[in-house]
Parts: sequence; structure tokens; C-alpha cells
Amino acid sequence: MGRIVVTGIGMITAIGNSVEENRASLKAGRSGISTIKQFATRYANMPSGEVSTSTAALQEQLKVDSPGVTRTSLLALHAMQEAIADAGLTAAELANTETALVGATTVGGICLTDELYRDTHGQSKGTEYLGSYDYASVSLFLQSHYSIKGIVNTINTACSSSANAIIYGARLIKNGFAKRAIVGGADALAKFTLNGFNALRILSDEPCRPFDENRKGLNLGEGAGFLVLEREEDVQDKHVYCALSGYGNASDAYHPSSLSSDGEGPYKAMQQALETAGLNPADIDFINTHGTATENNDEAESRAMIRIFGNPPAFASTKTYTGHTLGAANAVETIYGILSLKHQEVYPSLNFEAPIPQLGLKPVENYHKASVRHVMSSSFGFGGNCATVIVSKI
Amino acid sequence: MGCISPQQTFEPVDLEALHPVKDNKLNAVEPSYKTIPANQLRRMSKSVRMSIGAMSPFITGLKFDGVIIGTANAGMEESGKFLDQLVEYDEDTLSPGNFVLSTSNAIAAQISLMFGNTGYNNTHVAKGHAFENAILDAAMLLAENPGSVFILGGVDEIASNNYLLDKQSGWFKSGIADDHDFYEANSPGTIPGEGATLFTVSNLPAGALAQVKAVQMINTDSREELAESVQQFIDRMPAKPNLLLSGENGNSDTLPYIDVVERIMGADVAIARFKHMSGEYPTASAFALWMAVKLLSGEAELPSHAIKSGTVNAADLNDIVIYNLHKGVQHSLIWVSKV
Amino acid sequence: MDKQELKEKLKSQIIQFLNLTDLTPQDIKDDEPLFGDGLGLDSIDSLELIVLLKREYGITINDPKAGRKVLADVSSMADYIEANRTK
Repeated sequence: MGRIVVTGIGMITAIGNSVEENRASLKAGRSGISTIKQFATRYANMPSGEVSTSTAALQEQLKVDSPGVTRTSLLALHAMQEAIADAGLTAAELANTETALVGATTVGGICLTDELYRDTHGQSKGTEYLGSYDYASVSLFLQSHYSIKGIVNTINTACSSSANAIIYGARLIKNGFAKRAIVGGADALAKFTLNGFNALRILSDEPCRPFDENRKGLNLGEGAGFLVLEREEDVQDKHVYCALSGYGNASDAYHPSSLSSDGEGPYKAMQQALETAGLNPADIDFINTHGTATENNDEAESRAMIRIFGNPPAFASTKTYTGHTLGAANAVETIYGILSLKHQEVYPSLNFEAPIPQLGLKPVENYHKASVRHVMSSSFGFGGNCATVIVSKI
Repeated sequence: MGCISPQQTFEPVDLEALHPVKDNKLNAVEPSYKTIPANQLRRMSKSVRMSIGAMSPFITGLKFDGVIIGTANAGMEESGKFLDQLVEYDEDTLSPGNFVLSTSNAIAAQISLMFGNTGYNNTHVAKGHAFENAILDAAMLLAENPGSVFILGGVDEIASNNYLLDKQSGWFKSGIADDHDFYEANSPGTIPGEGATLFTVSNLPAGALAQVKAVQMINTDSREELAESVQQFIDRMPAKPNLLLSGENGNSDTLPYIDVVERIMGADVAIARFKHMSGEYPTASAFALWMAVKLLSGEAELPSHAIKSGTVNAADLNDIVIYNLHKGVQHSLIWVSKV
Repeated sequence: MDKQELKEKLKSQIIQFLNLTDLTPQDIKDDEPLFGDGLGLDSIDSLELIVLLKREYGITINDPKAGRKVLADVSSMADYIEANRTK
């Protein structure tokens, strides 16, 4: 069969409530990293990429009045709505058994940390969220909202979740289990993750500095990103952004929460993506890196890039704008790659001053127009789960 | 394949001796885990150690190309512990161990870590369809990589928080008098269970125990839609199955869906049930698959307490259809055949 | 409490905090390296031990790397606790 193409994209992050708003912020070098305002926490001053719209406002805008819908689900709905409108999917197409929905989240309803505690310690008669805490609840909410009849799935492989969701959706189409797939991920900021990453001492109290010798850790973020994947032969006269030309998944198999120093898992994932795309390393024009600015990731990722590319192409970490959006990360970042292809431009990494000694890699530091044919987008998660996606200009 | 469950499903396997419900739960019967080094065992949540334990029957000389796990609540017990710390210490200086173990993909990660496997690794968490999506993922991988071997698993544990949430939502029975009540109580709610069931899968028939011929996931609360989907599934097959292995779970509210499926199968198909053995949990269909494979490969006989209607002649057993449902909206059909 | 008593207490606490269920305090020698060879603890364990120092002895270590020197073995931990405990 022919290629798998992207016909619709939608997103919401700290730098914008739509694809266009996000692009404007990227071009202007305008980060969305700030303090946390949506909920009370000891760590409200930890720089984070918070979506500026309140949960109540999201509910109103999206006209969701059923109880028990978490912020994660609302962010997901917002992004999915934009993506399917962009792809021009009809209600009939959505309700077709050949339309799959593959979501991703690492927190699900646990963003409601306090409610969860109350509900599980007999401190309430049961809040409206009793059935919404699990990871599957987000996709099931979307499935119910759009009456989707095809395969519905949720993937949780920590930080690489939406990469694996994109890959699974593409393979469902390739193997004939779906004609189109709505793929992506969502995560809301939560006391749970804030405290978890802080306990691991990988949260930075300053805006993050990926690939910088003085990087101190990551900033968390929230958001959602969805893409509509279809078979090229079905597209007719719809606009097509690009092809999903390659993907790779590998396990680092080194440690539960850190990568091997030479980045074996990242190396294999990137290598596999190139192979499935039928591309040479020299064909990649830009890499949207995982680039969390933790000491471990950036070193491992850099070594992996050097192993594959020798001299890596232009690369950046857009987590400097959005923070690490966990389950939404790869979906959001792949969409940024698609924007690069569409507009023939690259977006810089912020906060970079000096490269990691011995490695010497420097990310793109200024927005500029460029010839972009193939973009690689990588995400590496806890448990050593590594996944890479390549999007290509048609 | 291997299975750790509320029954004696690890060596020596004994399906006839039924471990009863206790405190309205079916907790897993676990082996001693002597082969897991203590240093690794301390870093394992219950889901992870059950999974490693379930691999025991095939761990020696094991070579595989990747791991695919379906789970809804692996890691949730650890999440709960971290949450407790968070609240009790008011976010001050928390220990990270629970947080690291709370990720759903800890099982797949641990397996790949233990064997140094750098191949494909994925974790599906679609609740009542988590295992089914894992099967589909594995099936696609085998089509894409012929000759490979993958580890496929369905794992869930009764995590305290999840148990309390489901209990408050009314999914569990508050009391059954004895095991005859499991299906006969005519009351809403079911009994929770837990387990880890792991398989090695390939597309090579040589040495195989059974074949998974088809998997169908259905999302609906409508009996009419369910009937249509089940009929289509059956129509695609060359013949009717010998046995319907049903996910009936004692919940009177969801019995109408069971009736639909039994009606479509017809009176000439024997019916057996498995949830009085496994308990109800999102990936219980993995237990059912293990049981179906045990029967089709001749490794075990259908225990008498599992038969609902009809007779099953072991020699004639060629095709089993597993019908599972979870919380009345996620239904699945798995067709398993003798090799 | 004298230094030896502190070391014994510390060993029990380490075992409990890190879930080292197969060990007794007698199994941990005062000068045996906790990380690398020896007990074989890893980076997550070092963060857990820093939490132990905070919760049981009121000692805050902000830099995990500097913390590793303190956590080299039970003797160095006991020395540091004696010098810095606030509980």
C-alpha cells in the first residue's frame, strides 16, 4: 500500500491554544514557561509550561457539561477537535469502524491529586471523578464524545507515550485494521508528577537549558496534540501536510529511570526510524530532540545523535517553550516538525549558552527559514522506552 | 506461557481445585520467587514480580525480540503510596522509589532490563481492551517481522486505591455466601481478581501450543450493536467454535450482554466460564487465553466447576471463542484454535 | 546514643527504607561501600537515603552529588549525622 499521510493537526500548550498560536510563539521565541497558577502546590514557583486557560473555561468553550471530565480529557478534546476539523473528518467518518483512536497519557485523571486522595481515604462520599482517574479514561471520553466505533487504545510508556501512539496508529492503517487513525496524547500538570520529578531531583528551578553544560533539569509542562493519519490513496483533494515516513521503537534496557551513557536505546530507535523511512542520516534536515535538559538525557541523546549522524543536523528542544508535556510530548513536537516542513523554517532552542564539554553539540539558536525535507522527532521515557518518528515533505 | 492468578496456575498446575473468594476478593496465589535476586525483587511492584514469576515456565534459554504488555493498573499501588507520602509530608522531601515504580510500563521495562533486550517495547493501558490491543500489536509485529518471537502479557493487580474507587462506584459485590453464589447471586457487582499471564508468540507453527486466529474489540453499551458485531465475527469464521469461554462475572447488570452472545453462538456450542477463577480485572482475557491454550494443547482439561452448559469432548476440541466484557462497554472476542 | 548504637540503628533504617528484605543489620559492615561494589545500591537508593536523613535526623542535603560522599558507607553516614543532626 501507499504512504501514510497527515491530514489534520491540533494542539494546545503553554504557548498557544491552536496550531497557529503555537507557531507564532515559536517564531517569536516566546516561551510559555512560568509559575503554576491552576492549583496550589509547594512548587508553584518551579518554572512550568502551564496552559493559560482554566479548566472551567475549557469546559465552557468545549461545551462539556457531563460530570467527571478531567483537565487532561478537556485538553485532549480541545486538540482533537482542531485536528479533526483540520482534516475535514465528517461525523460519519468518525463513527465508522475503520476509524481508530490511539491516545496517550502518563497521568490521566491523577492530575486531580487531592480529589484522588480524598476518594481513596474515605474523606468524601465519592467525587464526580471516581471513574476518571485511570489512564484509559481520556481516550474513552473522546471515544464516547465522537461515537468512535473503530479500535480505541491508550498507550502509557511514560515520556515516549504519544510517539508510540502515533506509531501504533500508523501500523493499524498499514496492516489493514483501520483506514484512518486519530493519534496523539495529553497530560495536565499535576502535583503528582511535580513531586515525582522533584523527588528524583531532575526538576529545575530555572527555565530549562537543554544541551547546555550548565543544565539543571527539566521543566514540566501540560498540553495535548493530535494528528489525523490517513492512507494517501484515500485523501482525494484534501490538503496533506506530509508523510509519516518512518518510525522506530527500542528499549534502552539499562536502568528504570536513566538512559545508558552512550544512548543505546535512543540510537536504535533513531536507526530504525531511518531504516523504515528508507533514509540516510544525511537526509534528516532537523531533529526535534527529547532534550529535557536533565544531565542524563541530554548527554545520552547527544552521544546517540553523534553515533548516527557523525555531525548531527540542525536540532532543538522545543521543551524550552512548552516544558516537558509528558504524554503529549512527541505529538506536540512532531506537529512542530510538521510546521517546519510546511513553512520551511526551523525553531530555536531557548536558554542555550555553552555546549556540553567533550560533546560540543549546539542547538539552533535563532529562528530562520531553511530547506526542510525530513524532520525527526524523538522521545525517550522512564523504563528506557525510546521512540522516534520521521515526517517528510511530499 | 505462564500464569499467576488466584488459582493454582503455576507448577504444579491444578485447575480442578478451586480457591474460593475471600473477603470478596480473589487475590493471586504467588510462588516463592526464589529465582529472582533479592536486589531486583525489592524494586518490583506486585505486578512486576507476578509478571516475572509468570515467565518461569519458559524463562530458561529464553530469546525474544520485544515485549508487549497490556495492563490497566500496574503501578497503581505504587502511585497510591507516593500519593500518601505527598499528602502526609505535605510535598516535602519525598522518596522517589514509589514514583519510579508507578509507571505502567514498569513491567515491560523490567523484562527488557533483566534480559538486556533492546527490541520493541510497548505498554497498552486501554483498560478492558488493554490486552486485546497488546495482542493486535504483537500480531502486527509478527506480520512486519516474520520469524520473530515476542513476549505478550496481560497483567493487573488489586491495587488498594483502584479497589476502593471501583467499590465506591458499585462495581463489586459486598458479600457472597459461598462460591455457588458467584454466578447465582442475581445481584449487581462482581468480585475483583488479579493476575499476570505471559506468552511467547511467533508466527511459526512448529512447537506452538495454539493459534490466535482473530481478535475483535467492540465499544458499545447497546445490545443490538453488540449482537451485530458478534454475528459478523462468527460469520467470518469457517465454522462455529466447539466452546464459548465466557467472561460472565456474576454482575446481574451486565448479564444481558452475555445472553446476547450465548444466543448468537447457539445451543450446540458448549459454554464455560472463567471469572470465578480469575476474578474480574481489566486484562482478565489474558487468563482466559491461557486457559483456552491449555485446553487446546491438551495440557489441561476443562474443570467441572467451569462448565455452564453443554459437554466438551477434549478430543474434538478445535476452536474456542473467548468473549470478554469489562464494565459493560468494552467487549472483546478472541478466536483460538488448535495448531 | 553512642556512635556504635547509631550505626546499628542506621543499618536497620537503611534496610527498611530501601526494602532490603534479605539482609539483617549484621550483614552490613560499617566500612563496606554502599554503592558500586559492596552493597550495590544505585542512584535512586542515594535519593532515598537523603530522604531518610531528612525524615529521621532532620538533615537536608540539597546536592545529591555532594550527598554521595556522605553516603559512602555506614561509618561516614554516622559521622555526618552526629555532626549535623537536628532531631
